[in-house]
Amino acid sequence: MVSSIPASVPADAALPLGGAAAGTRRRRGSWLVVAGLSFVGLLILIATAAPLLAPQDPIRQSLRGRLAAPTWEGTDGRAHLLGTDHLGRDVLSRVVYGARVSLVVGFAAVLVGGLIGSVAGLLAGFSRGRVDAVIMTIADAQLAFPFILLAIGIIAVLGPSFPTLVIVIALSGWVSYARILRSQVLVLRSREFVESIHALGGSLTRIVLRHVLPNVLSSIVVIATLELARAIVLEATLSFLGLGIQPPTPSWGGMVHEGREYLDSAWWISTFPGIVLMVTSIVVSRTGDWLRDVLDPTLRGE
Amino acid sequence: MRGFLPFLGHRLFRAFIALWLVSTVVFVVMRLSGDPVPLLLPPDAPRSEIFRVRTELGLDRPLPVQYGVFLANLARGDFGRSIHYREPAFNVVRGYLAATIELGLTAFVLAALVAVPIGLFSAMRRNTLVDHAAMGVALVGQSAPTFFLGILFILLLSLKADLFPTSGRGDWRHLVLPALTLGAFTMASIARLTRSAVLEVLGADYIRTARAKGVSELWVVAKHTLKNAAIPIVTITGLQFGTLLGGAVVTETVFAWPGIGRLAIQSIYNRDYPVVQCTVFLAALMFIVINFCVDLIYGFLDPRIRSG
Amino acid sequence: MELTRRDLLKGAAALGAAATVPLTAGGPAHAQTTQKKELVIGQGGDIAFFDPHMSTSSNDIRVSFNLFDNLTSRHPDGKLYPGLATEWKLSGQTTWTFKLRQGVKYHNGDPFSSADAKFSIERTYDPAAKTRVATVFTTIDRIEAPDPATLVVHTKKPDPLLPARLAFYAGQIVPKKYVEAVGPDTFNRKPVGTGPVRFVSWTKDDRLVLEANPDYWGGRIDVDRVIVRAIPETAPRIAGLLKGELDVITQLPPDQGEKVNANASTKVSGALYAGLYVLAVNSKVQPLTNPLVKQALSLAIDREAIVKELWRGRGIVPSQPIAKGDNHFEASLPPLAYNPAEARERLKKAGYKGEEVVIETTVGYTANDKPMSEAIQAMWKDVGINAKVEVMEYSVRAQKMRDKSFKGLWWSDPTSTLGDPDGMMWRLLGPGGPQDYWRHAEWDELGNAARFSVDEKFRADAYRKMTKIFLEHFPWVPVIQPYEDYGLQKYVEWTPNPNQQFEIRRFNFKMRRA
Repeated sequence: MVSSIPASVPADAALPLGGAAAGTRRRRGSWLVVAGLSFVGLLILIATAAPLLAPQDPIRQSLRGRLAAPTWEGTDGRAHLLGTDHLGRDVLSRVVYGARVSLVVGFAAVLVGGLIGSVAGLLAGFSRGRVDAVIMTIADAQLAFPFILLAIGIIAVLGPSFPTLVIVIALSGWVSYARILRSQVLVLRSREFVESIHALGGSLTRIVLRHVLPNVLSSIVVIATLELARAIVLEATLSFLGLGIQPPTPSWGGMVHEGREYLDSAWWISTFPGIVLMVTSIVVSRTGDWLRDVLDPTLRGE
Repeated sequence: MRGFLPFLGHRLFRAFIALWLVSTVVFVVMRLSGDPVPLLLPPDAPRSEIFRVRTELGLDRPLPVQYGVFLANLARGDFGRSIHYREPAFNVVRGYLAATIELGLTAFVLAALVAVPIGLFSAMRRNTLVDHAAMGVALVGQSAPTFFLGILFILLLSLKADLFPTSGRGDWRHLVLPALTLGAFTMASIARLTRSAVLEVLGADYIRTARAKGVSELWVVAKHTLKNAAIPIVTITGLQFGTLLGGAVVTETVFAWPGIGRLAIQSIYNRDYPVVQCTVFLAALMFIVINFCVDLIYGFLDPRIRSG
Repeated sequence: MELTRRDLLKGAAALGAAATVPLTAGGPAHAQTTQKKELVIGQGGDIAFFDPHMSTSSNDIRVSFNLFDNLTSRHPDGKLYPGLATEWKLSGQTTWTFKLRQGVKYHNGDPFSSADAKFSIERTYDPAAKTRVATVFTTIDRIEAPDPATLVVHTKKPDPLLPARLAFYAGQIVPKKYVEAVGPDTFNRKPVGTGPVRFVSWTKDDRLVLEANPDYWGGRIDVDRVIVRAIPETAPRIAGLLKGELDVITQLPPDQGEKVNANASTKVSGALYAGLYVLAVNSKVQPLTNPLVKQALSLAIDREAIVKELWRGRGIVPSQPIAKGDNHFEASLPPLAYNPAEARERLKKAGYKGEEVVIETTVGYTANDKPMSEAIQAMWKDVGINAKVEVMEYSVRAQKMRDKSFKGLWWSDPTSTLGDPDGMMWRLLGPGGPQDYWRHAEWDELGNAARFSVDEKFRADAYRKMTKIFLEHFPWVPVIQPYEDYGLQKYVEWTPNPNQQFEIRRFNFKMRRA
């Protein structure tokens, strides 16, 4: 369906791959995928080891040392390599701890969204008829909706909190999973497929396990990775609008928000968390692209 | 052509349902978000005042009744009266619509005008520094969070370099940074698309033929690229224009741009249901209409899709 | 003469930006004076209502205090001066007689008389008029206008503060004939008053244009036009001031004040807020039912650090629930103490077991609300209080105010509307008031008696006793009495009134001419 252009347009869309080029691409792709996944792994490590890595307590204030530029020795005698914010908190420590929020919310949202989407997709595929139409129309409607407004509205109703945030972000992404699973199920149920099974003479289970499942899994892995990048950015955007994780817990988006009125005097408050966020988003979504190259080039054309 | 009219009807029906769903969701969410009346009156207003204003606004009736009224009015194109502005909601939205359209159009025109030549140039200078640099920037533009791009632009191009104003709407200078921010994703996508379309063309037979014939390579490349890339580019641009409002909400907030995105956020906080309903409805309508047109064009071009 | 200048101005405006650029190009010496005949104000929000009785929002009353006059007028020194009333006196306990100014005309030429004053005041509490200021004049029993130059107001009980009430919002006098003729909607769109400026045009979200009233009884003001622009975002508002596009800006955050002062052509001017910023307390919730806990909360706040760092020194540490500058302010009381050790003691004595204490804060609705909340949370945590900060939307706050459903503490910026404790402490914390969470028999009795007494000695004594009780029970935890800062071009010679009672009249405004 045309109305489901994938969120990230691959650099070489509409390019049919042929022969040797595909091989080289795949090999280079695997290397890049490894690099990307390592980055995510590193991020997880940093987030988990935050208490050990962060030089200071991220919520410890020092009113007299507020808005200090990056320095080796601040007014409280400590180093603030990325400066302090408007309440005197160490920006570096907050950036490190901010990784926790981004990753936890991101992964949770991907998980929940994936679950909802997969169930919906399976349901739609297996029931065809009415239920299928309903689910797909809901998906259409959701695409038509300026989602950020829905997010703001829901958070305005339920109040900003971790579970609300996860649910809202999950809701924003279930459609991709649903479509994939639905089409896989449709393939499964198609006449050609059933005929092939009989022709091949294998059991349904074996075919499913051997061929369909890996296909579905690789699609889901690609989508999940892309969705992770999107979820992290959405969480940051909502925090930037003041609707995300609440103070004093540090979150990258929230820090950009807090630093906004000091852009001309204490630019470091917004800039560093923003850059880290940007790099994370780029690497993770690129990893998703490379995964797609390696695992399932057919995903591109959809 | 035989299957076309049912196809059309089918799509129309789905569009209609989608619009209805969207409106209902807004209705429910807004009603759940609470009572707008305390926002209109001073904190020490007596209960009788509150009651009076609620009745005046029709908020005292049972929810299903309100919903019925809402739908009936919607069918007539009546979005109700803004609770905050005391004017018809549509008039309020219309006042801010021009700003958003101005921003959106500029963003997309800019995106296309800048991205296509860059993509072309990149492909022709494949694997050089320029190519890598351009595609690197495109990568950033596609993956970077919109709000932070905006903040970066403000920091670097407005505060440090003093080239543009930091926010608000005014002369053309006020338009540049917000348009760049809003159009970044589209610009990057188009640049990459163009590049790959050109690369494909460059490797094709007719290029060799053209070279052999001595025809200017650029001209042939441009002609064929446009043919190839036109469809995906137009599709992407069209669809992104349809989701304009979603992107505009964030950009308008960062740059204090007086458009309907910002209006919508304010109205959600003010619990001004009619304005929110009107804005969302119009945004969804715009998206659906554009999608519909794109689907129509595709339907024309590729009969296979119609059965989907 | 007038005509030529105005034509010149129109011509200049037609040429474009030239009209609004002050003559600062010449160099620092010239930046201190100007030939401008136009005052451009940048405020933090757009106007919603021109009808003075339909709004109490600062963005609206800033304009309505200049389109309209009140019977009495409060000057920057805090005292009441004649406005549309030239003198007033109390006879008996409940009768105020006002002598009204002669020869005053409305902007449309209609003469001002006691009929307008009577109509205007009665309108505020007329249920048919549905105004938003219906509770301001509840002490009035009836009003008589025996002749066009006299107004007699009978109050239900002795009301020593009636003239003060008339000086603030709801006391703007509207024209009876015009309002009755065109109706409230047209009146709101095309307001007519007696004030120093009159309405010319308004483009929503863009600008409001006012022009000087040449026949104003208080003297024509020093400029021909006043433009009011709404610029909600702080950064562009300040940028506009620094670039010279704006002459006056409102709501200048303390952090940005230094920038304005550092700039050669601009300066900061502030009035001490006639009111306090407090953490209001829901004393019905545990552990806030216990006065010892509340005392600890107060003792644990390092107000000096907050004033010095978060407010850049633009404020004072309060000493009592009465604002400095109000009647009956006790200058001898020391600023509220900061003593974390003592706070811990009180908590122990109170038997505090780590119950949650929540600050529900908005973001930017009250100046510095979120940063102060976070700072105070850290200070409370330091003495062992299980403190939490929750951010809420303004709409949620409004809802909670009505439902009285706050979880703990929230920011309130009670305004002393009358320059008197009755108008702040009693108005808000009294029984049946909007912040009725705590009752104390003796306190209630004193407050009631003081409201209706015209014996200032008695009142002083009563408020002294009430303060003592207050400082034991802390229904509010006062945090700061800030300055309300404005950014000005140096050539604008203007003294701000507190309470956002922004007005530009001869007695407090002129441009510095070369």
